[in-house]
Amino acid sequence: MQTSSSSSSLCAIVPVDCIFNGSNQLAYPCSFNLGLLRGSRKLKISRLKAGFWESIRSGLIKNNSTQVIEPLSSSQEEEEPLPEEFVLVEKTLPDGTVEQIIFSSGGDVDVYDLQALCDKVGWPRRPLSKLAAALRNSYMVATLHSVKKPAGEEVNNNKKLIGMARATSDHAFNATIWDVLVDPSYQGQGLGKALIEKIIRALLQRDIGNITLFADSKVVDFYRNLGFEPDPEGIKGMFWYPRF
Amino acid sequence: MLLQGNFSLPFRSPLSLRSPTVHHHPRRFSFAAAQHQYAISDEDLESRGFTLRRTIEDLNLDHLNSVFVAVGFPKRDTDKIKVALEHTDSLLWVEYEKTKRPVAFARATGDGVFNAIIWDVVVDPTFQGIGLGKAVIERVVEELLQKGITNIALYSEPRVLGFYRPLGFVSDPEGIRGMVYSRKKKK
Repeated sequence: MQTSSSSSSLCAIVPVDCIFNGSNQLAYPCSFNLGLLRGSRKLKISRLKAGFWESIRSGLIKNNSTQVIEPLSSSQEEEEPLPEEFVLVEKTLPDGTVEQIIFSSGGDVDVYDLQALCDKVGWPRRPLSKLAAALRNSYMVATLHSVKKPAGEEVNNNKKLIGMARATSDHAFNATIWDVLVDPSYQGQGLGKALIEKIIRALLQRDIGNITLFADSKVVDFYRNLGFEPDPEGIKGMFWYPRF
Repeated sequence: MLLQGNFSLPFRSPLSLRSPTVHHHPRRFSFAAAQHQYAISDEDLESRGFTLRRTIEDLNLDHLNSVFVAVGFPKRDTDKIKVALEHTDSLLWVEYEKTKRPVAFARATGDGVFNAIIWDVVVDPTFQGIGLGKAVIERVVEELLQKGITNIALYSEPRVLGFYRPLGFVSDPEGIRGMVYSRKKKK
């Protein structure tokens, strides 16, 4: 990745989280004040996109096809509050379309989209009303959406749910992560990892120290690599009359 | 007591990203009514001087905290305990009539429809061994089942695995592992 030598603070690769930090010197448009990002989901996304384009226009080298916005160093991570919504990955496809993967912890999920995503990964159908209730009753729902901007167009509302994870919690001590899924066409790119990392970070920032989950044997290593330990001190996960 | 049965566990946390895990369709629970056959009945407990309580009303958090400490939990801030209890789906405590103090406790959190985890299961050491722990777990499980929640899990210290097993809990079913995030171990 080339970095523009002229702009010092505005590098080609800017940790996106920095953009939301008040102390950063970037002359950043107010539309990124998250307080303003209420209202409809569509409006949220277009404001995010508009501001983002303005910000990178001055610093981007045109030839970059993929921009991965790297996570911050761990010390910064712990101090800076995680914004509710930000661009995780951006890339330019061969046809000039620019695709952004947007992370959001706002919990605004369309249950129909979610059901379609669950279908895609092969999970059995669950009643929509129960899905909606489960989401409502979750402490945190994190999503990944793909937003595509075809070349030559300014703003669009073409967003697709491609990943989700949620956590239940008692708001004080414990949280449990459930239902982690990533669209099969988007797997293998580190998106699941990013989802979990962000959720963990958000939970830790809310001072919820005990973060737990139950992992199928095939994904134990996936979570191990993210900092989870199976059976710590011999503590075992147990289920009431599981049937298989 | 608890009925063995062919009820399924459809919605344990499916955390596999690539390969779908096997799930089963939920069954209707017709045994729910029969569940009220606890090892020790409510009346039995009452006659021995124990009252079952299901709300935090009248629950002295300092007394609860001392039970936690007595069984070896780290001492926690009572304000935080209050927040936790206010965001808990079900809880049950046993009040000893003579002292009005909590002598057994358990609570469950979850999403209210699919999953629940039981936390903070304690019995005051002075009152252990007489069936209070079992009484509390049986009733918490029953309440969750009544709500339609069939995926009921917990994290058990190794020394009490033998307590949970006869109550119907299975560890690592089909290789599912309970995992906990550790900041120290982060790569």
